[in-house]
Amino acid sequence: MSPRRADTGGRIDRLKTIRFTFDGIAYTGHGGDTLASALLANGVTLLGRSFKYHRPRGLLSAGVEEPNALVTVLKGEVREPNIPATMVEIHDGLLAVSQNRFPSLAWDIHAVNQLGGKLLSAGFYYKTFMGPVVGPLKGTRFWMFCEHFIRRAAGLGSAGSAKDPARYERMNAFCDVLVVGSGPAGLMAAKAAADQGARVILADLEPHFGGSANWSGETIDGAWATDWVRRTVAQLAARDNVRLLPRTTVWGYYDNNTLAALERVSDHKEQPAKGEPRHRYWAIRAGSVVLATGAFERPLVFPGNDRPGVMLAHAAERYANEFGVLPGQRVVLFTNNDSAYRSALALKQAGAAIVAIVDVRPQPSAEMSALAGETEAELLSGHAVVATEGGKALSGLKVQRFDMVAGVLSGDARSVHADCLLMSGGWSPTIHLASQAGAKAEWSAARQAFLPPKPTQKWIGAGAFTGSFSTVEAIAEGRAAGLAAAGGTAAPAALPSVEAIPGDPDPAPVFEIRASGKSFVDFQHDVTAEDVRLAHREGFVSVEHLKRYTTLGMATDQGKSSNVPGLAIMAEALGKPIPDVGTTRFRPPFAPVSIGSLAAERFGDLKPERLTPMHDWHLANGATMYSAGLWYRPMIYGLSGETVEQAYVREAKATRESAGIVDVSTLGKIAVQGPDAATFLDRVYTNMFSTLAVGKARYGLMLREDGFAFDDGTTWRLGEQDFLMTTTTANAGRVMQHLEYFLDVVWPELKVHVTSVTDEWAGAAIGGPKARQILAACVTGTAVDNATLPFMGIVHGEIAGVPVMVCRLSFSGEMAFEVYSGAGHGTHVWEALIEAGKPFGLVTYGLEALGTMRIEKGHVTGAEIDGRTTARDLHLDWMLSKKKPFIGSAMMDREGLVASDRLDLVGLIALDNRPLNGGAHIVEEIDEANPRGSIGHITACCYSPALGKHIALALVKGGKARHGTRAHVSDPLRNRFGPVEIVSNHFYDPEGTRMHG
Amino acid sequence: MVERQSPLEPEYHVGSHGNFEHGVEILLTETRPGSIVQLAAWPGEEKKLIAAIRAVAGLALPDGAGGGLSDGAKSAFGFAPGKFTVADEAEGLAAAFARVVTPAIGTVTDLSHGRTAIRIAGPKAEWVLAKFFAIDFALPAFPVGAGRSTTHHDVFAQIQRTGTDQFDIYVFRSFARSFWKALCHASEEVGYEVQ
Repeated sequence: MSPRRADTGGRIDRLKTIRFTFDGIAYTGHGGDTLASALLANGVTLLGRSFKYHRPRGLLSAGVEEPNALVTVLKGEVREPNIPATMVEIHDGLLAVSQNRFPSLAWDIHAVNQLGGKLLSAGFYYKTFMGPVVGPLKGTRFWMFCEHFIRRAAGLGSAGSAKDPARYERMNAFCDVLVVGSGPAGLMAAKAAADQGARVILADLEPHFGGSANWSGETIDGAWATDWVRRTVAQLAARDNVRLLPRTTVWGYYDNNTLAALERVSDHKEQPAKGEPRHRYWAIRAGSVVLATGAFERPLVFPGNDRPGVMLAHAAERYANEFGVLPGQRVVLFTNNDSAYRSALALKQAGAAIVAIVDVRPQPSAEMSALAGETEAELLSGHAVVATEGGKALSGLKVQRFDMVAGVLSGDARSVHADCLLMSGGWSPTIHLASQAGAKAEWSAARQAFLPPKPTQKWIGAGAFTGSFSTVEAIAEGRAAGLAAAGGTAAPAALPSVEAIPGDPDPAPVFEIRASGKSFVDFQHDVTAEDVRLAHREGFVSVEHLKRYTTLGMATDQGKSSNVPGLAIMAEALGKPIPDVGTTRFRPPFAPVSIGSLAAERFGDLKPERLTPMHDWHLANGATMYSAGLWYRPMIYGLSGETVEQAYVREAKATRESAGIVDVSTLGKIAVQGPDAATFLDRVYTNMFSTLAVGKARYGLMLREDGFAFDDGTTWRLGEQDFLMTTTTANAGRVMQHLEYFLDVVWPELKVHVTSVTDEWAGAAIGGPKARQILAACVTGTAVDNATLPFMGIVHGEIAGVPVMVCRLSFSGEMAFEVYSGAGHGTHVWEALIEAGKPFGLVTYGLEALGTMRIEKGHVTGAEIDGRTTARDLHLDWMLSKKKPFIGSAMMDREGLVASDRLDLVGLIALDNRPLNGGAHIVEEIDEANPRGSIGHITACCYSPALGKHIALALVKGGKARHGTRAHVSDPLRNRFGPVEIVSNHFYDPEGTRMHG
Repeated sequence: MVERQSPLEPEYHVGSHGNFEHGVEILLTETRPGSIVQLAAWPGEEKKLIAAIRAVAGLALPDGAGGGLSDGAKSAFGFAPGKFTVADEAEGLAAAFARVVTPAIGTVTDLSHGRTAIRIAGPKAEWVLAKFFAIDFALPAFPVGAGRSTTHHDVFAQIQRTGTDQFDIYVFRSFARSFWKALCHASEEVGYEVQ
């Protein structure tokens, strides 16, 4: 047994020995230990190095507010930095290391920074990175060079780069009452609300419910408070309407009573169970919230208050009562309030020698004096600690007489030998969530603390959170809050009786003892009282500016222990009362949140993806798949040894020579139905659809309201009131939103329903000179000759026993047909078409060949309809009906949209017979050394097997007028320069003779 | 009749999977209804559409948002104002409705191929679904028969509660495999069986 571990006491399991490693040294602890308590029990008191000065630091606290003892936990290749040792539950095999030190925690060369105190004062970065204004080092380059070294010397832990294999999950929860915090107030609130029949969630960031009852040493209803906790939690656990969430930090309070919480599900285990996540992110939507989040004890600000061995008083009490660990053998307490006396008694009972109690107040109450007597401590009232002594561990301290009204020290300093100094500067209610919920904290002169604001959302406070620090008050307020939150009435009831050490909850208004030496306000960011005063001297008045200039209250602890002392020192410097200085608004998260839990499972194999009905066939038949938005589409069906270019050239060439088939299931498909469907389409499209005959399709163009081109596609009239609209793959969602907006908001009188049927249909486009013969070979129930199935005609028939709908339309420029079948029959029909095509040399082709053939034909896609082009730019002005208004018609003739120098669609042919690049600029005169004078850019390019040339589509100023002229591509990023000829975008079969047959 | 191909096939692994510490707490199945039809009424014609559902499917839906019914073979529920999803084990539902739902009442859209129906059942069904949807799955808030429209990531989903611990989820066919994989993954923690 370690000398610091008591033989009895605490809630640790002494029968269970746990082996773990810290900084490469093996230690043991017990079940229920945190890394902090286990290390303390092993006599390890140096746990970290401070942010700027690399001062040795030990434990300040025992909970989530810990600013000093930040460690990095290693799991396999993954390292998670900046975790308070107080929040790490030990398990067999736990590997933790200290951080921000080199080469070791005990011998850190950056500790030399302590000599540069003035240099590293407030505003260091602002002052340093300005750079010299004259001389050879003028500018910021030199300082950017220095930054690397400065950042190495100052900072927290470093994150790893290994992929995190852990599982993270998101959960959604709904409840009538969410209780945050499970001390006596929270437990009573949860019980009262549950008794009313409300659905209750009780969340606590600690692994065990009970809060202060776990270490207060009080009795409730005649039994130890820990027994009362155990009974109450068991009652709650047995109820169907209560969900208990231990190890769950509620870290964000958002609108409409939506709260965010992080559950550490398996961090405390050597291995998670199968399927068990590491963390769960809970999005909780609560009818009402009871905030019973307790309070944080504040440090006092005095020289040397950061030395290992100096700790918050209640933290020592926790270590003694909850973990059976003594933080020291010879203990001195330094306080401005009564609560430290209880801590002194607890430590005395646990076996420590209480050397002295130093109280800034001139005359503590008789009860406190009696308590001091019980601890056999020397009571030094009207005194203050003015210095601490020792190296990496406390060996003693100096006290001096202190007038708390004048803030003046007097007399000679007296040395006291001690290995542990416990301080208590009063208590700050943990109002973070209430602050996040939207209201301004209110200063209480009595409590010398900011109390929660009046609720702006549906929450009720209870216990220490409201400034009611006694357990009796917590129990009463908790029950009342639980009842009120559940909508019950506060009927009189016998409350549990509490036996506790009495004490005045109001501290003396003393935050700092001004004496020589560094007095730390913000331990985690190494901000001293002098830094705060320096900020004031340099003109900072606003508390928001103070925070940013000094970095007070930043970092991972967000100033949980430092905010109020910092404000008090600033207020004194300004000569204003604290409430006039104000406080910063807390923002989420209350405590650090793993990025993994926020991302949850939307990555890797679980990222949503869309697959066409023929996806597996494509994979089984050699397709290289290509991600197109969320869809996966075949890029090429490469043969062995083929390059991508060789494959698509082969596929496109074969299609033009015989026939090719491509999966077009991804095209957006929207059913437009209802008596006013035709009228609606006339308004949506630039061209007319009400004149379209049933059984025919028409190519349509949509504009946005501002007159720019939006999307294109064919729409098929399947019935008098029944249209099937197709859209581009990428724009399907946007077009759907566009249609729904106009139906819901602009023309609600139209009887039209729009429904996404993209997934209802599998689509195969089959094109080429032999496409009709292939169809004729496999389609039954209808003819497919020119009379029955003319260009843009639709017929219904069957392929291999499956109903199909065939429309004759072409994207490739060949005689082509789109064959639609039910998606569940897609592969069946596809395979039947492939089989029927074998005698005709049918090839499958992918997106690359599809793109090649459309470029050869000069058809536009999203690359050209890019949100900046008009119908005229794309030579689609023939589609702009003059007989009717349509969306965008009122705006499309604006001056800027019809200007002669707009970029027009053209074709380009590379005159140097080299590949062109998408995005390359077009210039009139080439200047490789000083590229300039862009007249446009390439939108799409390919090698054209039909032309035997490298070609491209481009948007070029005054494009049409430049047909037949020469220009150059200028692509300095890829070092591609060369001559091109500007031609019509219709490279291939401009008359459309192949398509019309 | 040619059988429809399931989009889940390569990822549909019949048998028990995951953590069996508490036994199998989730049952997953693809229900493969023969018909899935979307019905939509013009404003003011909702009651006539509800009457049409009763006439064709024999399901007397309650009036009100999200109300629904299931008799095991047929299911119907409202998923938006005036809009309903109706499913049937048998094929041909769209044609049957087309005869009854006149253009004056509303529209009929056949989605039998376009949606995939997945059933999740078992004591942990609510728990697993809570990982996906911001919906209150508690029985009082989401009674048997009722339906909801929601999304998981980019996957639009309609959910009908067809039993105390049983839900039928209708997702777009193209997303179905992705959704199924995620559902299996999320069920591992509590042990699941694919039937």
